[in-house]
Amino acid sequence: MLSEDEIRQEYAILEQSGRNPEAFGELYEKYYDKIFHFIYRQTDDEDLTADLCSQTFLNALKNCQRFEFRGVPVSSWFYRIAANEVNKHYRKEKKMRVFSIEETRVRELIEMSDDVMDEELIQRLLNYLKELPTDMLEVLELRFFEDRDFGEIAFILNITESGAKMRTYRALDRLRKNFNLSIKYDGKK
Amino acid sequence: MISSGRIAHHRNYSELMRQHDKEVRLKRVLRVFTYFLIILFLLILLLIVLRWEGKQPHKSNPQSTENLNRKSDFKRGIGLRV
Repeated sequence: MLSEDEIRQEYAILEQSGRNPEAFGELYEKYYDKIFHFIYRQTDDEDLTADLCSQTFLNALKNCQRFEFRGVPVSSWFYRIAANEVNKHYRKEKKMRVFSIEETRVRELIEMSDDVMDEELIQRLLNYLKELPTDMLEVLELRFFEDRDFGEIAFILNITESGAKMRTYRALDRLRKNFNLSIKYDGKK
Repeated sequence: MISSGRIAHHRNYSELMRQHDKEVRLKRVLRVFTYFLIILFLLILLLIVLRWEGKQPHKSNPQSTENLNRKSDFKRGIGLRV
């Protein structure tokens, strides 16, 4: 997690990028991989991800002068633009949404609960997660795989903080009922 | 899971800068063109109004002439006699 000073420093870079686009390079290099992974999980297509990722950073650079400090890290804003780009892509193409979750991520999720790691359980959970509604997968991904707090999740998905908590609670409740996995909101046991 | 090497293959900041410059230039051209269209529209409108005014016949206004006469009468002292 970034400290408030670090967040403000990033905002200063963003503000500077409005006058001098070259300054944006630092943020681009820092967050490109994370945003790429975030989009890739929702598309499962490398070339499409590269296009959407470029578009995300291009939009960010184009609108950096308009962005105001709202207490969340700059990266949350990138995630928000990326999520919008992915939504736009699916609306335009009218395709079924894909959510690819890596096995390692599922293992991490199980590690957060008290349950014993079982190969069969991992496979079942992987299949089950693929069937979960998109809004639940989005919050699970941001909360547990991207390690974002609820304020940031709310900002990224353009919902209220209580809404983000509710969605996470519902998703975790489903996992608890179906797999007896007891994972807390904050990922602690 | 996609490897860092594969991601690095797609990461290209100079390409992003090139696209950004292109968009900024396009935006500037579009703005200049929009201003040009607005000015052209106003000029055409002005020309139409001038031509329309030129075509209008000059009308005499009897009432206003009468008023003028009364004023001049007043100046000459005729008005005081009433």
